[in-house]
Amino acid sequence: MFLTRSEYDRGVNTFSPEGRLFQVEYAIEAIKLGSTAIGISTAEGVVLAVEKRITSPLMEPTTIEKIVEVDKHIGCAVSGLIADSRTMVDRARMECQNHWFSFNEKMSVESVAQAVSNLAIQFGDSDDDGGAMSRPFGVAILFAGCDEKGPQLFHMDPSGTFVQFDAKAIGSGSEGAQQSLQEQYHKSMTLKEALTASLTILKQVMEEKLSSTNVEVVTVTPEKFFHMFSKEEVEEVIKDIS
Amino acid sequence: MALIEPFAGHTPMQAQRFSPYSDNGGTIVAIAGEDFAVIGSDTRLTVGYSINTREQSKLFRLSDKTVLASCGCWCDVLTLTRVLNARLQMYNHEHQKEMNTPAVAQLLSTMLYYKRFFPYYVSNLLAGLDAEGKGAVYHYDPVGHYERNQYYAGGSSSALLQPFLDNQVGKKNMNGVVQEPITRERAVAIVKDAFISAAEREIHTGDAIIINIIDKTGVKEERFALRKD
Amino acid sequence: MAHFGFDRFSAGPLWHNGPAPGGIYNFPGRQVEDSGRFIERSKQPITTGTSVIAFKFDNGVEKGVAIASDMLGSYGSLARFRDCRRLFKVNNQIIIGAGGDYADFQYVQSMIEQKNIDDECLDDGFSMKPKAIYTWLTNVLYNRRSKMDPFWNNFVVAGIQDGEPYLGSIDKLGTAYVDNIIGTGLGMQIGVPLIREAIEKKPAMSKSEAQQLLVHTMEVLFYRDARSFPKYQIGIVTPDGVTISDPLYLDNQKWGFALYKK
Repeated sequence: MFLTRSEYDRGVNTFSPEGRLFQVEYAIEAIKLGSTAIGISTAEGVVLAVEKRITSPLMEPTTIEKIVEVDKHIGCAVSGLIADSRTMVDRARMECQNHWFSFNEKMSVESVAQAVSNLAIQFGDSDDDGGAMSRPFGVAILFAGCDEKGPQLFHMDPSGTFVQFDAKAIGSGSEGAQQSLQEQYHKSMTLKEALTASLTILKQVMEEKLSSTNVEVVTVTPEKFFHMFSKEEVEEVIKDIS
Repeated sequence: MALIEPFAGHTPMQAQRFSPYSDNGGTIVAIAGEDFAVIGSDTRLTVGYSINTREQSKLFRLSDKTVLASCGCWCDVLTLTRVLNARLQMYNHEHQKEMNTPAVAQLLSTMLYYKRFFPYYVSNLLAGLDAEGKGAVYHYDPVGHYERNQYYAGGSSSALLQPFLDNQVGKKNMNGVVQEPITRERAVAIVKDAFISAAEREIHTGDAIIINIIDKTGVKEERFALRKD
Repeated sequence: MAHFGFDRFSAGPLWHNGPAPGGIYNFPGRQVEDSGRFIERSKQPITTGTSVIAFKFDNGVEKGVAIASDMLGSYGSLARFRDCRRLFKVNNQIIIGAGGDYADFQYVQSMIEQKNIDDECLDDGFSMKPKAIYTWLTNVLYNRRSKMDPFWNNFVVAGIQDGEPYLGSIDKLGTAYVDNIIGTGLGMQIGVPLIREAIEKKPAMSKSEAQQLLVHTMEVLFYRDARSFPKYQIGIVTPDGVTISDPLYLDNQKWGFALYKK
């Protein structure tokens, strides 16, 4: 794709003659550099698992947060430019609270994805209130949540496109991980199976050795809603994957 | 109408202050049952001692599960319901589903409070089925306080009808009461009786009533004549 | 229309302590309104028109809406202007009748005329329908009342909506309703019962019968409304179009009921 690169990759508002927006495509490239994150949706709930890259032994691993709570019933895993993701998570949280304030009900997972997508595609916009966002967000997001339609998983890329998935991997190891997910996923998967599968696959694609300090695991279930696994709980899962 | 009277002479000249509100009368009543809700309004629209029209329903069908009754300052009723319908339509498009009654109830409260310091001068009753399919009635004050009740009366005859409903629906102040769920027939009959009584004693209520009965099959409408004087 | 207190753009008072053009006169010895510091808005009408009456008719052959109003512009109790047309043809299917402040009416009229020009520029053959203008007026009047700067009018929209008679009324607050018979001001209290009685006797009325009924109603209104005038206009809207009469006069007035008349 870089062969056709020309002046058309400078502005986010300019299509190339082939009909492409290079800045968006570059942003999609950027998220392939991010750490791997995996989401699996089952009938019992949704699992999110991400790797944390511990680049230095002097680093405090718990300060890397790649899975966050959006609302009691929704969590999301991010990969790419984490600073960008904070803006988007902020928006998601705000939309959820606003929805609760206006309607006294939980916001659906799809609506949250839609709301964040509306923010993500604002690159290039400008109006009387202010200037444009200079570039697309360099973030891929997995939204996991349980609403009236049951457990759901949505994936969104920097173009703002969001699609529902049974299982999805993002980040540097996503290609291999997605392949493995395709092989292992089945509709009748239990939450426990999904947990083991997600960590097994994560282990395969991670460069470092998987441990309870360099992964984050979250489940979102209709009963316990958003639940971040403690170090002990993670170790419990790791024991099963040999 | 007070005018500037250049030669007012003996009468003290008073420039009438403009008031953005008017009381257009009207009465609304709602009763919730186990799996249904009944809501009714009269059809008289008044200003002072004048009748504007005898055929103005104060019920607004928001969906197959929710009906709003609204009266008080009619221009505020018109605006509030118009904005509310627009908000419902926007919700439909944004979330690809119909809003359920408790959500409409919260939205209405938010909309009313949004105008806390220039309120909609309106009495609202919201009736419908909740997410579990149970009958629900919500009542509001003009600035957005709301409560879920089994029954309520609002509008110009509310002070007349609320004690009546307390007695007949709430079974208050009676000895040896058997508390049993109200039937649909009984609820409709009480609403009719309530309006007939209100029309006898209160001049801003009358002409006819429109009753909506909401259950899982949808909304059914009934009309009933009241005295027209 | 809104007028403002004394500032450098306004003309000074006409005489010492007297009213300024467009200002409000404060009689000596009465509390002076604080007009210097705040925006002064129209809190009372100045030159006014009285009632408008209108009703739908339909005898199976002829159907439409008949509307009437007199032509007096009152300045308080002074019968000041005698040729105020208060029926306004919007297009071939709408008449608007107006009571209340005549200047506000003329301003709204110019807004509607501008809307007509905008419609015409689109050149798509469409023009406003009665329900559209009724809703638009409701919103305009409600917005102005919400700014505490109302258009001090009653409007009656008479028209044909998709082949059927349409009749609606809007007051200065934006209070709006549709009905088969509409009267504003004293027309609501005296005119409407007369028309209702006549329609109850003869529900299917022809155009000329409707016209006759309006003449009669205007006559009775003239006897009792101290702000009315024997010169008036009648407008008729039918699916064939709009007609607004030239000024008519109430001749053959019967003042026999007046007790001390010689």
